[in-house]
Amino acid sequence: MSAVVARHVSVDIGDAQLVRDVSLELAAGQWHTIVGPNGAGKTTLVETIAGVRQPTRGAVEVSGTSIHEASERLRAQRVAFVPQHPIVPAGMKVRDYVGLGRTAYRSLLRGPSTRDHEIVSEVLNRLDIERFADRDVATLSGGERQRMVLARALAQHTMVVVLDEPITGLDIRHQVDLLEVLRREVEECGLNVIATLHDLTLAAQFADRLVLLADGQVRAEGTPHDVLRTVELADSYGVALQVVNVGGSDVVVPVTAIQQGNVPTFS
Amino acid sequence: MVTALGFCALFGAMVVGLGVGPLSMPWGHIIGDVASHLGLGHSTLDSLQSTVLWQLRAPRLVLGLLAGAMLAVAGGTYQGVFRNPLADPYLLGVAAGAGLGATVAIVQIGDGLSTPAWTPWLAFAGALIAVSLTWAVGGRGTSASLVLAGVAISSLLTSAQTFVQQSSHSSIARVYIWLLGSLGGASWHSVWMTLPYVIVCIIICVAAAGALDVMSVGDVESRSLGLPVERVRLVVVAAASLGTAAVVSSVGLIGFVGIIVPHFVRLLVGSSYRHILPLSALIGATFLVLTDTVARTVVSPSELPLGVITALIGAPMFVLLLRARRESLT
Repeated sequence: MSAVVARHVSVDIGDAQLVRDVSLELAAGQWHTIVGPNGAGKTTLVETIAGVRQPTRGAVEVSGTSIHEASERLRAQRVAFVPQHPIVPAGMKVRDYVGLGRTAYRSLLRGPSTRDHEIVSEVLNRLDIERFADRDVATLSGGERQRMVLARALAQHTMVVVLDEPITGLDIRHQVDLLEVLRREVEECGLNVIATLHDLTLAAQFADRLVLLADGQVRAEGTPHDVLRTVELADSYGVALQVVNVGGSDVVVPVTAIQQGNVPTFS
Repeated sequence: MVTALGFCALFGAMVVGLGVGPLSMPWGHIIGDVASHLGLGHSTLDSLQSTVLWQLRAPRLVLGLLAGAMLAVAGGTYQGVFRNPLADPYLLGVAAGAGLGATVAIVQIGDGLSTPAWTPWLAFAGALIAVSLTWAVGGRGTSASLVLAGVAISSLLTSAQTFVQQSSHSSIARVYIWLLGSLGGASWHSVWMTLPYVIVCIIICVAAAGALDVMSVGDVESRSLGLPVERVRLVVVAAASLGTAAVVSSVGLIGFVGIIVPHFVRLLVGSSYRHILPLSALIGATFLVLTDTVARTVVSPSELPLGVITALIGAPMFVLLLRARRESLT
């Protein structure tokens, strides 16, 4: 059973082809991370999977629903999206922000229901952010803010959550914290996570499968162990890479000019 | 608590609006006269006082309440839908369109001595045409493209209005009086002409307050949360613009209410439009009735243009609000 099926998806903007004929079947209950160099089309692809961007050609099904033909409401009940730079409106309380995740389940004319409040409280507890639920969102640190945005996505009660670079701007501790929270959601709740990440080591540690994207096309797809050892990986990034096993985990190390004895000089 | 205080302020403003003026009327007699109209007791006002109260001050008060409430709600709504704290009810060309319509009426139809009866209708039509043009140009894009279209259409119509205005020197003063806004021409007729639009449009805007809260995270995220952004924007902008057009056609261009009142309310009740919009209606109505009382009494028997008073009071208050807001964030 596939959680997400993308069939021959292409996205053009003007003359530029950002995503080219991408077909993917992402199995249910797993974490898929899309990796690739800058400009590979990662953000465009996940936005298209999340339904916030219309493909030029092709189609995407999420949990059996053709996501670009569904209403906004149905789409939001199928897939939650966390953008790379979420807009966090100053003055809003954390609890109210997380409550926005219930939009697809309530009438616009009515306020949040008791059930909405229960779900928001439960998600706040699960992500351990209940203690600052009544704070202004503008007062949060980067790590707290990302947890809050993730909480909003989880409040949508979808089986698929799409995240675009969720750990950008976080220190290593908060990066690991956030990825561990997501991993727990996959393990305990059967959540399907589709994320883009730049850090190949973290991508390999947390994802079940990697999709390597370059020039808008899928270059490799498989387990982290397999994808990290493909020739296409180094080709795509245009840099020599070495994969080292440390304590059972793959660590990706760029082989720099300095390591090769070619110390660059600046004149 | 804040809402209760808002109602108290509104009641106080109504009492002041009815009681203050060149013709003295004791508060007790006014309340007695109002009660007598409800079948409770007998009026102690003489016929002149009663005529002034019911034919001059009361329609002026009611029209002020309607205009203040609508402008404040429309301003708050625009600020929400465009995520722009500087948005006011005239953002999409209502003012420029109404100004052109009114100027055409005064210059082309009028005799140069008085404002013709057609003026509100042409102002109303001008406002609606302006917003429709803005929507036709920028409505299919993002919120930003709609705002830019509003700027372009406003500039175009303002140029046309200036051109028409310059063609008749005898009417310039009358055009300016209309443009600066006044409740001096209020009558029960103008109240009944404005009331249905204002009531319906305020209800729609307040009903959409929850959607405006969602839209505070931007169009893309709102859509991903399940909000039909384009439809909500169309309905809300249409309601705010229609209500504003109805008000402007009756009272002219009154600035600052639509900007200052929602910001003031935001300081009191926070950022949720569920609280901002209803309270903006209360405070906007109160603010306009009080400023109108100032406008018609400080140089009595003449009147100052209402737009001048709202700007004179509004601008310093706006500066104080900005300072208070900045201090609350530091």
